[in-house]
Amino acid sequence: MNNMDVEKYLTVGALTKYLKVKFEQDPHLQTVFLKGEISNFKAHTRGHLYFSLKDETSKINAIMFSSKASKLNFTPEDGAKVFVTGRVSVYEATGNYQIYVDEMMLDGVGNLYIAFEKLKKQLASEGLFDEKWKKPIPKIPERIGIITASTGAAVKDIISTIRRRFPLAETLLFPCLVQGEYAASDIAKKIKQASTYPIDVLIVGRGGGSIEDLWPFNEEIVARAIFDCPIPVISAVGHEVDFTIADFVADLRAPTPTGAAEMAVPHLDEIEQHLQSLSIRLKETMRNRLESNRTKLNHLKNNYLLKNPERIFDTKKQQLMILDDHLREMMVKKLEFEKIHFNHLKKSYIFKNPDVLFEGSKTKLTNIKHEINQKIRYQIEQKKQQLISIKKHYILTNPSTLYESYQIDLQHFIEKLDVMNPLHLLQKGYHLAYQDQHLIKNIEDIKSDNLRLRFYDGEVYTKIEKIEKEH
Amino acid sequence: MSKNEQKFEEKMKELESIVSDLENGEIDLDESIEKYTKAMKLVKECDEKLKSIEEQVSKMVSEDDEVKDFDIASN
Repeated sequence: MNNMDVEKYLTVGALTKYLKVKFEQDPHLQTVFLKGEISNFKAHTRGHLYFSLKDETSKINAIMFSSKASKLNFTPEDGAKVFVTGRVSVYEATGNYQIYVDEMMLDGVGNLYIAFEKLKKQLASEGLFDEKWKKPIPKIPERIGIITASTGAAVKDIISTIRRRFPLAETLLFPCLVQGEYAASDIAKKIKQASTYPIDVLIVGRGGGSIEDLWPFNEEIVARAIFDCPIPVISAVGHEVDFTIADFVADLRAPTPTGAAEMAVPHLDEIEQHLQSLSIRLKETMRNRLESNRTKLNHLKNNYLLKNPERIFDTKKQQLMILDDHLREMMVKKLEFEKIHFNHLKKSYIFKNPDVLFEGSKTKLTNIKHEINQKIRYQIEQKKQQLISIKKHYILTNPSTLYESYQIDLQHFIEKLDVMNPLHLLQKGYHLAYQDQHLIKNIEDIKSDNLRLRFYDGEVYTKIEKIEKEH
Repeated sequence: MSKNEQKFEEKMKELESIVSDLENGEIDLDESIEKYTKAMKLVKECDEKLKSIEEQVSKMVSEDDEVKDFDIASN
């Protein structure tokens, strides 16, 4: 390789510097407006922010120095969609081109959409959109409240439509802000104010605009004010395609402000027609009613009996006569019947032979008599037999045998008694001691000094000198 | 309009219910004549209200509840 060849070659640093100058000389790259989604976000301890911005096809590194980052009104994070302003240049050390961010803000639409979905979900879970809360819209309102801006197409559309359709209705406008930071709280405030007026229906809305313009109608404070409003609310925000949270909470959603006015009031012609048809039906039904009653009345008036009242008595008289005849006839028949019955009785066998009536009892009585006689006779016979058998008894025929046996028994008894006579003991030398008629059987029985001794052949009265008890 | 006066819609509703009652024919004649009289009065009142196209003006209520006429043409 010769020297000439070597000089052709650039250093990396030289190339990079060259490129950097190229970038910095390009006016388009000095002020760049860029939108994208943040990724790889890192906040350096010194306050610098490092991240990438990407979309579906590309990616660029970004740096935001702390002096700029300190002015941010939000905390960037991965996934956030942002708009940035800055310049594009090359970082020599790595040779990467990157964007040096001066300003950064959240992409409104993307983030509004997230907020919308979040609030919608929350209010739905609280039941604010439930069908059961929807109040019916009166058919013929007399006073209509309107909450919208006092200028612009919306208020004109609403009022002119009401005038055209139903001029009898009175309109009450509660003018409010319909876009910007303070609109939501103003709309909520006016809904509350309107609810203190005797209004039949309330239209809340505005004309078309960007999603940011319509945003106040997506705010929670407006949703809750509509929900709490005691008057039926028709929402009318933007165009047919625009759906806001207010639409979900309202009792009725109208596609446009004009649509809201059409829903709020009937057409005068319709009401007139309806009234007329009611009036016709009323007269018709009453005419029919009267007609049919009149026919009925005429019919009654022409009735034969009403025209010939004496006929009523004629028939009655006739009926009475028939009844009277009938009665007489019946009485005669009855008497005759009783007479025959009586004669019949008179002629009857029993009547002539009353004894027959007692025949049965008589027989019964004789039977009983016979029975009793028989029983008595039988018993007498029995007793007789018993007596005869007793008479025939051995002892009775031989009474002496009974006496003999008694004699033998007596002899035995006397002998026994003799043996047991205590006097026999006295004969043997024993004697009995008495004290006051009591026999003394032991020392314990002795109650005094006097003692009477019984001997076989007499008694001795003595006194006790000394008692010596054994044991 | 006074608060006590029956609203137009209420009158119409009452009228509707009387007409259908009469058409059902379940009420006796005396009562139906009474109802008819009442209904005719309602028809007259509603009709007068509709005919008196005394166009209502639009009004505007200020924040401090001041009610003024509101003309859409001038806004």
